[in-house]
Amino acid sequence: MSGFFATLKRIGSERDGWLGLAFTLAILVFALIGPLVGPDPNAIDIKARFAAPELAHLLGTDNLGRDLAARTSVGTRYALTLAVMIVVISSIIGSLIGIVAGIAGGWVDRAVTAVFDIVNAFPPLILAFALIALYGKGSATFVLLVTVVFIPQFGRMARARAQTLRNLSFIEAERMLAVHPVTIVVRHYLPNVAGPIIVLASMNLPVVIAFEASLSFLGFGVQPPNSSLGTLIKDGFVSINQSWWPTVAAALVLAIATLGATLLGEALRRVIDPKSTGAR
Amino acid sequence: MTDAIAISNAQLRFGETAALDGVSLTIPQGTCFGIVGESGSGKTTLMRAVLGLQKLDQGEIRILGKPLVHGRAALRERASFIQPIFQDPAASLSPRSRIRTLMNEVGTVLREPHAATHERLAVILGRLSLPPGVIDKYPHEISGGQARRVAIARALLMKPSILIADEPTAGLDVSVQGDLLNLLQDIRRSQNITLVVISHNLAIMRLIAENAVVMRAGNVIEGGEVGSLFGSPQEVYTRDLLAAWPSIRAVNTKG
Repeated sequence: MSGFFATLKRIGSERDGWLGLAFTLAILVFALIGPLVGPDPNAIDIKARFAAPELAHLLGTDNLGRDLAARTSVGTRYALTLAVMIVVISSIIGSLIGIVAGIAGGWVDRAVTAVFDIVNAFPPLILAFALIALYGKGSATFVLLVTVVFIPQFGRMARARAQTLRNLSFIEAERMLAVHPVTIVVRHYLPNVAGPIIVLASMNLPVVIAFEASLSFLGFGVQPPNSSLGTLIKDGFVSINQSWWPTVAAALVLAIATLGATLLGEALRRVIDPKSTGAR
Repeated sequence: MTDAIAISNAQLRFGETAALDGVSLTIPQGTCFGIVGESGSGKTTLMRAVLGLQKLDQGEIRILGKPLVHGRAALRERASFIQPIFQDPAASLSPRSRIRTLMNEVGTVLREPHAATHERLAVILGRLSLPPGVIDKYPHEISGGQARRVAIARALLMKPSILIADEPTAGLDVSVQGDLLNLLQDIRRSQNITLVVISHNLAIMRLIAENAVVMRAGNVIEGGEVGSLFGSPQEVYTRDLLAAWPSIRAVNTKG
């Protein structure tokens, strides 16, 4: 655990990293504690509709008089939960597929690389539209489909690392001792692939947050009664002539969340993996 | 007695180059055998083929009379006969595992309780003059010399009858080189292990090996008992190798 705090300290010592850490912490506090202390996000109060920010409603109210601060914090929590789930699942599945392809080589490797290429050949949003059109809407399918879109990035990186590791003495020494292949993958490949994968995951987090918001804004992502940042921006956008608060509040939170996560990811990369020049 | 290793007509090409060009040699059991040659002569490739890490294009390798076959069952059986000591032993220890974990793995492969493994390990560590506390460290926390001995200890834990050491003295200073060679020689004599030493360094061959072969461009060009091989070499190449000691010329940098 001391390594974790040392990493945090080094991130905090850089200006970008400090800012990223501060933004991310602020968003986390907003998303985790906001729903606990704020008013009911679904309480309708037509008389107070389109209120500007005041003490009772810190970010104003929407077209039904619902408290925007509460709605935004619930939406942020939902968006972050989805993004973290998607990044964690796709990085684990991607790493395992990539490691197996990198070790196996031959036709297994060619087949996996071909599938990765096919997935990557489509612009992510278009691919997500197609998959949602095929499999329908819903939170569970949404997580699965976006995961599929992000697996190849992790897979490629894990595959490249595994190919390097495969020929190193310590992996050959394990093989010469007839250690079980599953043990070799779990104990000797995974920990040595993890560093760059964690960096890539942290840099992908803001991408996934923005991706989810775009899909939800277009109505393909999170479905009512749940709300995420994307649906809040969309709902506000519909009545932007009456009041611009709802859109701006949610968009501001989205901007801070993605900016914070991006700066934090960049700082994490510089600390963990100083030799690489960036994920893309 | 069957030979420890018998190689007949081993051939392997990497594209245009013949890494092994019809190598045949036999290594008797219980001896120390040297394979000498310059970089790129095919010594390491031959070792990798014997270990089963590299498939041959043609030819046959027998280990203790049994033909070398690929596949997991065969590998498991072979692992208890033959173990390598890699050129860079520090790199042959998995960087993110404690040495205890690495040693336990050997016990798991042998289907032996960990307590029994550690009992044997304690004896081996003592022999290699490694402190018992070394097993709770990570590979990067021990010195290069210790890492080399830990790699040897791990190979010995497998109870092999053949050890193949690739450049065992590379990167060690001269005093430690002697210690290490003595150690390998001791282990070989006391446990009746066949020791195969691969090196470009003729001096260490003279110290440790009984028989040796000289390799060049994927071929064995000369072989025999070390005294006569290096005392009166028949091949020009061997004589060149013997004569090729580095020398330093003083250069006048004034002016």
